[in-house]
Amino acid sequence: MFSRSFQALSKRYLATAAKSSGPKTTDVLIVGGGPAGLTLATAIKTSPILSGMRTTLVDGQNLTERVANFYDNPPAEFTNRVVSLTPKSKKFLTETLGVPLMHDRIQSYDGLYVIDGMTDARMALDHDGMLDMIEILNIQASLLHRLNHLNLEKDSFEIKEEVKVTNIESSVKGDPQSWTIVSLSNGEQYKTRLLVGADGFNSPVKKFSGITTRGWPYDTFGMVATLKLNQLSPFAKLRGWQRFLKTGPIAHLPLPGNNATLVWSTKGNDLSQLLCQMDPKVFSALVNAAFILDDADLDYYYKVLGENPNDAATNERVIDDIKDRIEQVWDALKDDSLIDERYPPQVVDIVDKTRARFPLKLSHADIYCSDRIALVGDAAHTTHPLAGQGLNMGQHDVEELTKALEKGTLRGLDIGSMLCLEPFWAECYPFNNVRLGMADKLHKLYGTDFGPVVQLRSLGLQITDNLGAVKSMLIDTLTAGAAK
Amino acid sequence: MIRTNVLNKAVKGEQLRFLLRGKSLSNPRFKSTAASPDEVKHFQELAPTWWDTNGSQRILHKMNLARMDFIRDTLSDTIKVKDPNVFIPGYNYNEFFPEGISRTVDSELKQTINSELQKKQFNVLDIGCGGGILAESMARQPFVKHVLGIDLTEDCISVAKHHAKLDPVLDGKVEYDGVALEDVKTKDYDIITCFEMLEHVDKPGDILQHAWKRLAPNGVLFLSTINRDPVSWFTTIFMGETVLKIVPPGTHHLSKYINSSEIVEWFEKKHPKNYKLLNLKGTMYIPTQGWVNHDCTRIGNYFMAVKKLR
Repeated sequence: MFSRSFQALSKRYLATAAKSSGPKTTDVLIVGGGPAGLTLATAIKTSPILSGMRTTLVDGQNLTERVANFYDNPPAEFTNRVVSLTPKSKKFLTETLGVPLMHDRIQSYDGLYVIDGMTDARMALDHDGMLDMIEILNIQASLLHRLNHLNLEKDSFEIKEEVKVTNIESSVKGDPQSWTIVSLSNGEQYKTRLLVGADGFNSPVKKFSGITTRGWPYDTFGMVATLKLNQLSPFAKLRGWQRFLKTGPIAHLPLPGNNATLVWSTKGNDLSQLLCQMDPKVFSALVNAAFILDDADLDYYYKVLGENPNDAATNERVIDDIKDRIEQVWDALKDDSLIDERYPPQVVDIVDKTRARFPLKLSHADIYCSDRIALVGDAAHTTHPLAGQGLNMGQHDVEELTKALEKGTLRGLDIGSMLCLEPFWAECYPFNNVRLGMADKLHKLYGTDFGPVVQLRSLGLQITDNLGAVKSMLIDTLTAGAAK
Repeated sequence: MIRTNVLNKAVKGEQLRFLLRGKSLSNPRFKSTAASPDEVKHFQELAPTWWDTNGSQRILHKMNLARMDFIRDTLSDTIKVKDPNVFIPGYNYNEFFPEGISRTVDSELKQTINSELQKKQFNVLDIGCGGGILAESMARQPFVKHVLGIDLTEDCISVAKHHAKLDPVLDGKVEYDGVALEDVKTKDYDIITCFEMLEHVDKPGDILQHAWKRLAPNGVLFLSTINRDPVSWFTTIFMGETVLKIVPPGTHHLSKYINSSEIVEWFEKKHPKNYKLLNLKGTMYIPTQGWVNHDCTRIGNYFMAVKKLR
């Protein structure tokens, strides 16, 4: 489909192309202005070795006004696309690239509290400043701010926005080592030494490269929302909370003030649709229930709410029932301080229109580069959000690609050649494979309600909770080793 | 640093005779720096796959990375940073400063060296350029003004010429010619490179002599070849060509290998007081890591940099 639609387009643009002076040349053409693409552009332009390379970034959105404006005029509420940033990624962004992130919109937190919803097995991973929660828009806007302040000539760096890639081909037919020609929907053509796909899971660059991807869909939807919490207790720990329910993991992660972000994965289409569409008050109550009550209770609420969608009386009844049952659980605790120790702060509301859902899948490209092509971020791998690794793997890709390009340049290599690009993927593939595998195994381990497995995993969680060395190894992997 | 006095005096004469084997014939039409017809034929067969980095020349492409590191390291060491704001001589800042600061010092130091190097604009001659692997890498260096690559295998020259046209950056920076070294007219090259070449000619001494003549004062001759020892035979011929087949069979002949000490000896005899050994490193291929430079210079492959004084 991709190729047919561009054939029509390329015919139309042939006339324009013939009139103009042919394709513009660039050293690096980055497709995609997400965090990975913008980070790569900034890394190239701030590297003393690479800054001389002509760089072009292509994106379908309006980056320089709409996204960049977030920096100067941030909205009052937090947006719903929030990611965890490991200390390693943060160090790369702020120290190596000099990106001034918007610090008042970042929440650092000191641990993860993981609960098995079926057995109540618990594990607390505590480490000061273990991870940061940050909005994706914060990262993008801060990177654009940094790029803007470099005051680069158009010849050195250019953003082509609100355009799509319509065609990619080798400049010499059948010779993948020849420079790549990329046609854009505005009729322009670029001939590039290196084409970088930072264009997400459905990457056109990956399609062109013929690189194959392994993986599987999870038949699971991830749902996000920005939560409003009740007044935080001064004794509450700044933690991320994750509970593995029968239907999938739910995570509640802190944002500045009385805000938090939610990632709720649920099996199948129906439940996530129900959660997305129900009344915000009932939804808020359900989030509280999901961290405290049993799977059986939740099943009952889903059933009642599914049978009477948006019925005010049902909603009222469910909210009251949840309140009662939570009170009962709290009353059964030995001591009130355990409430803050074991359960996340209560949700009172959600920010309007922040609920969104997306299908989850595992995918991993067999290789991240071929002649003239490199893939970074989601174009190379997508993962389950339960371990908070997706964006960080992309940042690691960019860091390693930059190193490979620097080393190749010092050695006088053509940066589009495999000889230059190979070290990049050799470095990234095993790093990412560990993280993708970890998220995948956790998803499967906690996706079952088969008795023996549930018992074993709970035992595993309890044992891990009591073994300092194993715990620090886990923290080390989650924070990419920079938390030492 | 290599100390020539550690050489066993008894074998000195033998070694020199070896290096000077096949003194120029009196026939004026015979080029003393010419390769034998067998060698030319061998490289003619390799020419079409020269730039296939996954093909028969992969190991040479990999080696080129180590060569370029060696060249850059050697040249960087010749740059003395004088700005006291950038460099603290003899002070181990890595030990005493916080990580962030010593990293900044490191990177500023590197940048200063790179920009000083860039001002040099060297004129380079690459002897035995083959398909132009080293010549292209040199031509892309900001400190290089121009590279002339010469090789006696015509097919390699045309492969090199064709490949250089594929990258606009190389336009006007690299040229190739199928001439013999002794027919190269220019006599003041700043850098002459002669990599993986001496072991393919019958009279390596003549090559050295002609190369030396074409080097400008303070110019640097970079060369590499292989020590004549059982380890070299085992790695480059037995393992490389016969067992692993990562080197095209027939590429190497043990009898043509030259010990690093013999080269130093040659300079000591022919140009005493006129040369300085800038750098000497052994290099070995480790399958998972590529070529790795090391300090054991009497076994296997080695890189050498010799500066012409005055």
